[in-house]
Order: sequence, then structure tokens, then C-alpha cells
Amino acid sequence: MAESKPTISFHDFTSCEGCQLQVLNCEDELLDILGAVDIVEFREAIDDKADSYDVAFIEGAFTRESDRKRLETIRSKAGIVVALGACACTGGLNVLKNFRGLEKSMKTVYGDSADWYETSQALPVEAAIKVDYKVHGCPIPRQEFLEVVTSLLAGRTPRIPDHPVCVECKLRENECLYHKSQYCMGPLARAGCDAWCPSYGGRCYACRGLISDPNNQAAFDVLEEFGLTIDDVLTEFRLFNGVYDVSQPPTEARVEKQ
Amino acid sequence: MSQATQQPAEAVSPYLPRAAKIVEAKDFTEQEKYFRFEFEDGQGIEYLPGQFMEVSVFGIGEAPISICSSGGKRDDLEMCIRSAGDVTNALHELNVGDTVGLRGPMGNGLDMDAMEGMDLLFVAGGLGLAPCRSFILTALENREKFGRVTILYGSRTPKDLLYAYDLDAWRDRDDCEFLVTVDRGDDDWTGNTGVITTLFRKIDRPDAANTAAFIIGPPVMFKFTVLEALAMGLRKNNIYCSLERRMKCGLGKCGHCQIRNVYVCQDGPIFSYAEVMRLREGI
Amino acid sequence: MLPQILPKDKLADFARFLMGEYRLAAPVAKGHQFAFEFIETPEDVGRIRMDYDITILPPKKFLHPMYEELLRFGGRDPATGEAPIQAEPTVILGAHPYDLHAIATTDAAMRAEPADPYYATKRDATLLIGINIRGYVNDEQFMADMRTTEPPEGGWDLFMTDLGDRYYVEVGSDAGSKLHQAAGMFTQAAGDDHKAKQAFDNEKASNLPKRLPYDTRYLPELMSESYDSLLWDAVARRCFSCGTCTNVCPTCYCFDVQDKLNLDAASGVRRRQWDSCQLHTFAEVAGGENFREHRSSRLRHRMFRKGKFIYEQTGKPGCVGCGRCSVHCVADISILEAYQQIADEAAVSAMEIAAAREESQ
Repeated sequence: MAESKPTISFHDFTSCEGCQLQVLNCEDELLDILGAVDIVEFREAIDDKADSYDVAFIEGAFTRESDRKRLETIRSKAGIVVALGACACTGGLNVLKNFRGLEKSMKTVYGDSADWYETSQALPVEAAIKVDYKVHGCPIPRQEFLEVVTSLLAGRTPRIPDHPVCVECKLRENECLYHKSQYCMGPLARAGCDAWCPSYGGRCYACRGLISDPNNQAAFDVLEEFGLTIDDVLTEFRLFNGVYDVSQPPTEARVEKQ
Repeated sequence: MSQATQQPAEAVSPYLPRAAKIVEAKDFTEQEKYFRFEFEDGQGIEYLPGQFMEVSVFGIGEAPISICSSGGKRDDLEMCIRSAGDVTNALHELNVGDTVGLRGPMGNGLDMDAMEGMDLLFVAGGLGLAPCRSFILTALENREKFGRVTILYGSRTPKDLLYAYDLDAWRDRDDCEFLVTVDRGDDDWTGNTGVITTLFRKIDRPDAANTAAFIIGPPVMFKFTVLEALAMGLRKNNIYCSLERRMKCGLGKCGHCQIRNVYVCQDGPIFSYAEVMRLREGI
Repeated sequence: MLPQILPKDKLADFARFLMGEYRLAAPVAKGHQFAFEFIETPEDVGRIRMDYDITILPPKKFLHPMYEELLRFGGRDPATGEAPIQAEPTVILGAHPYDLHAIATTDAAMRAEPADPYYATKRDATLLIGINIRGYVNDEQFMADMRTTEPPEGGWDLFMTDLGDRYYVEVGSDAGSKLHQAAGMFTQAAGDDHKAKQAFDNEKASNLPKRLPYDTRYLPELMSESYDSLLWDAVARRCFSCGTCTNVCPTCYCFDVQDKLNLDAASGVRRRQWDSCQLHTFAEVAGGENFREHRSSRLRHRMFRKGKFIYEQTGKPGCVGCGRCSVHCVADISILEAYQQIADEAAVSAMEIAAAREESQ
């Protein structure tokens, strides 16, 4: 890269900002990172404003039409745009409101004042601007953030896994949740989290999105054998992956049968 | 205590590359760049045409690249590298004086002495000319050992032609026949236009039983060209190709290049059509 | 090298003795299942479960680790590369016969020229102490068919059989012989011990019936016949391509090689990590072409490696019949069932079709 230190920035949209906290949680590595880059915008830690960034990290979902302009400005100032975390990559949990209905959601949250606020369908950042790389997860795994930073500094493509969570879960020798008569999105979900949730007693909700070639046929067949209804399966899919087509059942007939 | 606790003399890693300096570099096309390397340890290298090297850029990774210079024992070696991924992109940024890591030679290659007295037909498509060139140059350097030599080369457009200086030299030689075609010509192009199989109509019928063919190019070209070669009466055992696979370790271990029970990095990349045919998943 | 006896109440002492000289790996409980782990402290010896049914991952993880450094570098300059190859003296205690066979297979594959010095160095520094099985380890096992119910010819050091209050310990190597002598808690087996071992073996044999309708000598040939079968497409419909089968397989050893960068984005390590032929990126080349793009071709490749290719390359079983791949498969894809199915297909040979037609006319 250039001889002066590359500049990076962090921007937040609709999110809990937990992913930026994960960045600050890289305590052991932060000093080294600061030695390699200049952080020019980071509301969680500093409040400078810069004219351009080599790498812009964007956290949060695109949930208000008025955010489009801000996203476009970031895109125009940034060499590389990285979506940081589930909300930015897939819309995250925010997408649930799309299924519930925007009006109903607004009424629930804001009551009579609902009209005062602007909202639109919750979407991933790439619905508004081109995204170069994605750091998936709710929250992001620290090691993947570091992989992206070091890779971009070295001028290579970050190694983001595109295989199921089962790979990492097996390497940790976890008892398979299916064998404990529970279910889990692991076989369809993108790895890279080191099978966080299954390793600590939870089940996988695919917060890192789906792999690029999920076997939907197998998902519906196998999950059905484990006693799940189409609605159960859809609920699991939608929690973090509502924006994917896969959230639509393969045939309407099957839903009606339930 | 027991034998098992005694540490053996430390083993040498086959993954540690040798440092090699770029002594010549030129851009062939927007995507393809030519390099000549010399080893820093001054030990040189010996290889057969058809063999490849694992080219290493620390921090990025390794990529398997065919050697394009003539075979034998020598001080340097040449490669034509297409930018297709992180490693090859990084290599494209390098210039004379820079160093890379090289492991090899790897793969089987082919000893052309075994073809002494035979006619040779070279058919190269696109970047396939790189590995094919190693065979061609080896044959031309030992011209007296072989009968007729015919070289057919096809590329997408005139801009994509590689090794312009070699092409001129081959055209000028009167001891070999050289024909080139492009899929799509441009305003300046006066040569053949059409896919490479059209060149088969323009050459004299070979002495089929005594001809070895080297067909190296993208899989789709291989299929149609083998048909032409077989139709001319060439023997399946005398038609050779080079298979491209994801050769990660180069040592027959990692499994990425495996086609059925064959590790391309060890048993290949040069196979006869008779062998490829049996592999089923080969092409 | 005559068989020895180790009183059962001396097992903990023996384990502690081993820990004095070696890193000790042994089976311990992991939830309702079992896993090989390093026993870190003398108190942890009590966690060792020689009566385990089967571990989730096989002991290959100690010889061919999930992540292994191949070399380290200080920057782009190739002169900065160095590759120290080291191994700590290790004992794997409690490997079942099928896992000992699998290690023999991996030995042959990794030591084949050009040999892998990382594996070889670890393997040379490792002693194997096996433990016999009584029979049942899981619903999908078919070791009797794969001839892996007894330890292989060589390659192990001690092999223990649980005779109730004592272990009957066979000695497989000079290193094993020296080990039990140095431990000083073994005595030579006597007449009653041999009889008890014989009784154990008889019962074990009756617990391990064959499950395939053919002799596995013909497995490679049957596999060849099945290459174009629709079976692979049918099974692949349920396959998530999640790589579980290959990760838990004791004879799978494929790996990927990646550079990990330090935060200076210049220095780092080149390391290998387990990879799986079931993952869709496995056979993809830089230009984007994928030579096993379809799930079914990947699934078939694994079945062929297990039933044919590895055997043809090493002369040792590519599948040891442990059943791990099948019991851990979320979709219940069973390798045993696949091997049964291909036999059904092959039984209907061309001649039989002709005969059947003649009869019906």
C-alpha cells in the first residue's frame, strides 16, 4: 500500500453498535492496528471527520430511505467498503419488521408518535451501494475483522469461509445438536465463528448468513424429519436471513398442508 | 528412553521455496506477463518440458505455474503468468530485481527423447501455449532428432497472442510449419480467423502412426481438437495434454488436484489421451 | 515379546508414568460422547475412559493436526522463510483396532514419496497403545467386513484387552517392550490369562457380524461398476456438503494451505488445515472453473476414495468401517448402506438381464 498509513473509518447505521465494540475488544491487537493504519472516523472512539478513506467499515442495516444519501457519500469517499456485521451484511434482525409489516412495527414501537418517524424496509447495505467485502456475524468474530484488516493491508482477498458451521463444530468435537434432538442452522450457515453458539450450548441461527450453495432440498427434508414444520423452518431462516430468497418455501402446497 | 523419543535429524521441509530473482520481465497482454527467473543459490534447475513450479509470495500464497522454457539442466527458467487470483496479481506487480519463492520442478513432464524419429504436432490454445512452448523449444533445439514439426496456435484476438518474438521466429524457420488463428480478428489482422480446428484443414496429412501430438489449451478446445487428431488417425497413446487442477501442495497429499485415483500434481499434469479417457473426470 | 498383564488398578499409575516421559493423549468423556484429549495433570488421569464406545474425532488429530504450521516468514522476501519441523514425544493411549488400522493407512499415504516430513516426524515420536473393543461401538459400524476388528500387523506398540480386573497386554514393538519394562508394573501373562483372552476374543467375534452381502475384496471393483449409478444423485439430494463425514473420518487427510498474516501485514505463517472434498470450493481453480461442481460428484468422490482409491494407492483399507461418517451425518447418509446398494446394482449384471429376458419370453 501507499507509504503514508492507510486510513480507515467506521460508520454506523441501524444496529446496536456491538460490532464496533468487538473491534474495540481487540485489545491485544489494537495498538498494532493503530501502528499500521490511521483511524479517521469512529464514533465509538473518536469523532474526527475525514474527506476520504482507504477502507470504510459500515455497521448497521439500511432502514431509512434518507440513509441512502449518507451511504452513497461514504461510497464515494472510500476506496474499499466493508460491511461489518449481520445488520450491514443481510439486514440482520431488523429484517423481521419487514415480515411483520412496517406500519404495525412502527405502532408497536412508537405508539401514537409513529408518524413522526421515517422508516422503510430493512435491507443490507449493498441494497444501496456496492460492498467490496463482508465481515459477517452478530456480532462479528474478532479474528475475522483482523483477517480483513491485515489482508487489505497486504493487498489480498480476505479469507472469509464459505462452508457450513458444521466444519468448525466438528473440529471442536461438539456433540451435534441434532443428535441431542435439537435443531440448528449449522449445515446451511456460513462458518467463521468457530462454532460459537453450539460450543456454548446454544444453537446456530446462521447470523453469518448462508453459504453460497445451501442444499435447500436437504434442509426442508431433514428438518421435517426432525419434526419441524415449514413455519418453524422459516422462522429460523428469517431471524438473520430474511432477505434471502431461500426464506420462501419451495412450494406453496407444502405450506397449506401444514 | 525408547527409540520413539529420540529425535531424528531435523527433516527438510518440501514446502520451503527456493529464492529466485526476476532477471527479465515483460507484459505480453493486459492479463499475461512473462518472467525469467534465476535461483539465488546459484544451483540452477533441471526439469522436463510439461513440469510446473509452485510460485510463492509469502503472505499471499502459492500458485502452480507451468514452465515455458525448454527442458534440461539450466541456470534459469521462464514462465508466462496470467493474473487470475491473489498470488498471480501480486506476481504481476513484481519486476526485474524482485525475488519470489519457487518450489519444483513438479509433476511428471515428458522426456522428448522417447519421441525421437517421430513427427511432432503442437496444438496450443490461449495460455496453453506456455506449457506447449516448453515442448516446442525443446524439439526445435534438438531439431535433428525429429521428423516434421507442425505448430498450430489459436487465440481469442490478435491482442491476446503471446510470445510475439517466438511466433516470428517459428514463422521464419523453414524446418517447421507454423500456423496461427484468432477467433476474432481486428482491422490490422490479415491472418486466419476461426477456431483452432480450422487449421487442421490447412496442414498436410501427417504420417498418423508416427506422429505425437501435444494438445494444450482450455478443456473445450481439447475435446474438439482431440477429435481432429483422432480423425487424422493419430494413436490415443501419442496424443498428449496437460490438465489444469488446483495443485496446492504439489506433493500428492492435499487432495485438491485429485481426479479419481490420480494426483495430477504427481502423476500428471501431462497425460496421454488414452489415460485421460479412462479418467472420465479428466476433461 | 510375550503378552503381559497390567492390573486394572495400576492403569492410573501407568498413565502417570507415561506422563513423565511423554505428552499423553487418551479418551475422555465429552457430554454423552467421547473425545481424545491431552491429559494435562496427574489428577486428570481419572478422566481417562478406556471403556469408551467411540470418539467423535479419530486420533489422526495428533498426527495430522487440524491446523499445522508449515513455515514462517518475516515478509515477502523468500529468504525470510524458515520451516522448523519438530515433534514432542507423545503416547496415544486407548486407540481402538480400527483406528490403529486407519493410522497404518495414513502412515502409508503420508510416507509415500515424496514423504511428508511433518507427519513422519510426529509419527516417529508417537507411541500407540491400543485397547480392544468388545464389539458394539455404534449402529453404523462394519469393521468385520473391513477386517479391522483386530490390530494391524504392525505399527503399534502395546495393545490392551480388558479382562475385568486386569488388562491383557500384547507387545507389538521393541519400543512397546521397553515401555512396559520401564514402567515396572507389568507381569508376564499366564495360562489363565491366555484362556480369558481367548474367551474375550470368541465373544467379541460373535458381537461383530459381517453386514455386507459380499467380501470387501470386491469392493473396489463394485465401486468401479457403480460410477454411473443414479445412487450418487439420489443420496446427494440429502447431502448438505458440510464436510462432517471427512472431518470425522480416520483415513481422510486432505488439507488446504493458507498464509496467515500477523498485524504488520507482512510477516506470518503458512499453515495447512483440514479441508474436505465435500466443500464446493475444494476442486475450484483460480479461473473459477470447478471440477467437482455438483454435490453428487463430490459425494461419489468421497465414497470412491474410501472404497477404492486409497486402497489402490496404499494397499491398506481406505475405509475401516468405524461408522463415524454415518452416525455424525445430520442427513443420515450411511456409507454402509451405499456399499450395500452398489452390490444390489452389480448383482444385476448384463448376463443376468439376458437370462431374465430369455426366461420371460
